[in-house]
Amino acid sequence: MKLATIGVGNAGSKLIDQMIEFEVETGRNLCRHALVINTARTDLAKPENIPDDRRVLIGDTHSKARGHGVGGDAEIGAEVAKTDIDEIRRVFDDIEIHEVDAVLVAAGLGGGTGSGAAPVVIDELQKMYDEPIYGLGVLPGQYEGGRPALNAARSLQSFVTKVDNFIAFDNDAWRSRGQTIEQGYAEMNRELATRIVTLLAAGEVDESDVGENAMDSSDIMRTLDVGGVSSIGYASTDLDVPKEGLLSKFNDSEEPQAESTDAAKIKGLVRRAVNSRLTVPCEVSSADRALIVFAGPPEVISRKGVESAREWLENEADTVDVLAGDDPRPNSSTLAAVVLLSNVTETPRIDEIQNQAVDAQNKIQELDAVRDEEIESLITDDNNDLDPIV
Amino acid sequence: MKLALIGVGDAGTRIVDRLVAAEAETGRWFTEGNVLAFNTAAHAFDETESIPDERQVLIGDTHPSVTQRVADDEDTTVDDADAAPDATDSQTDRPGVGGDPGVGADVATTDLPEIRRALDQIDETEVAATMVVAGLGGGTGSGVGSVIVEELQAVHESPVYALGVLPASTESDRRALTAARGIRTLVPLADAVFPVDNEVWRHGTEPVSDRYDAINDAIATRIVGLFGAGERDPTSPSEMRIDPADIRRTLEVGGLASIGRETVTLDTGSSGWIDRLLRLLGLTDDTRGGRETDAATVKRLVQQALNSALTLPCDIESTDRALLILSGPPSAISRKGFETGRYLLEEETGTVEVLAGDEPLPDAETITATVLFANVTSVPRIDELQARATEAAAFEPSSEDTVDASGEDTVDASDAAVTDTDGGTADIDPAATDAGEPDEGEPNGDDRDAVATREHEFEFTDDAADGDAGS
Repeated sequence: MKLATIGVGNAGSKLIDQMIEFEVETGRNLCRHALVINTARTDLAKPENIPDDRRVLIGDTHSKARGHGVGGDAEIGAEVAKTDIDEIRRVFDDIEIHEVDAVLVAAGLGGGTGSGAAPVVIDELQKMYDEPIYGLGVLPGQYEGGRPALNAARSLQSFVTKVDNFIAFDNDAWRSRGQTIEQGYAEMNRELATRIVTLLAAGEVDESDVGENAMDSSDIMRTLDVGGVSSIGYASTDLDVPKEGLLSKFNDSEEPQAESTDAAKIKGLVRRAVNSRLTVPCEVSSADRALIVFAGPPEVISRKGVESAREWLENEADTVDVLAGDDPRPNSSTLAAVVLLSNVTETPRIDEIQNQAVDAQNKIQELDAVRDEEIESLITDDNNDLDPIV
Repeated sequence: MKLALIGVGDAGTRIVDRLVAAEAETGRWFTEGNVLAFNTAAHAFDETESIPDERQVLIGDTHPSVTQRVADDEDTTVDDADAAPDATDSQTDRPGVGGDPGVGADVATTDLPEIRRALDQIDETEVAATMVVAGLGGGTGSGVGSVIVEELQAVHESPVYALGVLPASTESDRRALTAARGIRTLVPLADAVFPVDNEVWRHGTEPVSDRYDAINDAIATRIVGLFGAGERDPTSPSEMRIDPADIRRTLEVGGLASIGRETVTLDTGSSGWIDRLLRLLGLTDDTRGGRETDAATVKRLVQQALNSALTLPCDIESTDRALLILSGPPSAISRKGFETGRYLLEEETGTVEVLAGDEPLPDAETITATVLFANVTSVPRIDELQARATEAAAFEPSSEDTVDASGEDTVDASDAAVTDTDGGTADIDPAATDAGEPDEGEPNGDDRDAVATREHEFEFTDDAADGDAGS
């Protein structure tokens, strides 16, 4: 698939940046256009793989933002995106949309910029293009608190109704011990980028290597067609080939000593992918459609294994709409299976976020209701004897 | 967050001077040179060390009720007022506006053109907000400070905050009255007010001047910790850096704000610096070195900051919005600790509007948690202040119950005070607006004189009445 990618806010921008890094490292060519949009000047400087003219600062003329972010306020995030929509549109104008199959908009849903500005950007994209627009959204963890949960619950509604499919990533499911804030979300971004790129880049590497069972962009798009929220599973196994893949490439006499990967092993890989940490934990059987991509040297992908894995997933996901195909990577030292579960409807984490959001909204409204009165009563004495100086 | 600082009066000037010094000491250049100090008595400028001369503005020097006699020791002057509230001539004896906020406001209104000229030196485009710093017990701090906040609100698009030092319990009731009125005035005018309670850092027997130093240091540390976060060169990228908009949004609810702070020293065992060196050289990505803190340490630090001596002691459960900044080496702060610390703040304050971020200080040997509580509404100290103030307003020291038992005269006087000053407010407002018009630019316009005289007469009468009652 050929993608135009847009990162909105800090988390979204870092994700797109990480996707590009991963695709360059693995010789893939997925992101034909990359663009990041932010309200904070400092955050806009962080991505390493985005050209300077593809970084858009919005809200720098807004009195509450001024290039310093929106303070986690989704309303202001949306407001500044609407105000600066012309500026965003001008950058879109450079995107040769006929070159791409789809647009991917990535954002963190807990913050103000991602949750507020991204839906505005998506609205604009839907007006401008016929191509499908996919969303990639990071859900805040429980410990990020009530305000991020409220931003996410509200933004999720906008995302899911506006995009053609929403791929969710749950911060909580990927939290691990022992990380420092310096490492931040780098590890998680890397994991997510690996899954997204492996899935969406299928069929785009080297035209000459297209196998008989190669995955096609249209298959992936068809699976995503149903809309809703999607989750991705992933598993990979190291193949027993020398690390110097480049050398063996130039030396035809030296066959890659790939361990023969039999059918059972292929099926095992897919089982692992589905039972591993999904990007958002969900009930697999609630999936509407599913798809498996095998990325690795074609000779290790057994037809029989692919077919039995597909049948297994058909059973697990309780849907007949399961596609399976290859993404041939002749020089790869790993075999990876990535599973897309499209339109999963049972995602406990989203229910939790919604409950947390409702509580948060109630608390916010309670505080709003009494704020002026409480301040007034604090600064005046009981009998209102004290008068202001000016 | 870039912040312009405007010190008003003795205490305000001292604190801004200290803040500017702290800026250099910590390398957090958050004012960009946007500092000013206003005073009605020149002697306050004698002791400034960090505020450039051209940024020190004397106002009211031609005003009839302002005296420029330099006191032998201005701290003694304060104590004089405390010790002898019945000295009828204490107001005129003291330099400046004699502790009278009415005179302070009047002086500021009269010298508004000069104040405006001085304020023009502040480049609003360089800062994200402006903070007016004043001692609220003083006539200049409360009176001039209020007018300056009002003026800044009229010309600045960005928020105007006020930092006001509350008088200690040993200071006079009259200063308590001025401070209570100052709070009453500033809260509706400013975007947020940071009252600082003198009592918190007061150590009983220390000389007054040392006490000021300790208090001013404590204030400077906390203000720099909050507003200076992220204003050092961002050598270390941070995913969770605190943005100026975060501070601004937290404070936008208005009311009173308080700051808590706690620091923990990182365990720098012998293996610690080796690990650190290896990390610096990129030879290891091992983060289990001696400097790394576990989640529990960070959570405990945040808990201690919540329980620390707050700039304004308050019930943190009455917090409207909160903000947490962890300053320290990003490689040593546990992310889980950061997250649980933030969540702790939400649980302890009962608000969901909690923003959290870090200030990366790669070489620091400590981690500091700075917590901002915005719009705290349960503040016993303010209630006490108001109680003393109402007593002072209806000054009757022999009476147990000031309202019921006091004589008719006192009640009348306090009623009159309310009415009169309300009238005064109405008078000052149009004057402040008119001053922008060319024909009113002349400071000796008849109308202005009339207003000024009336206002002054009332204030003078009021205070004199207090003095009479006391003698």
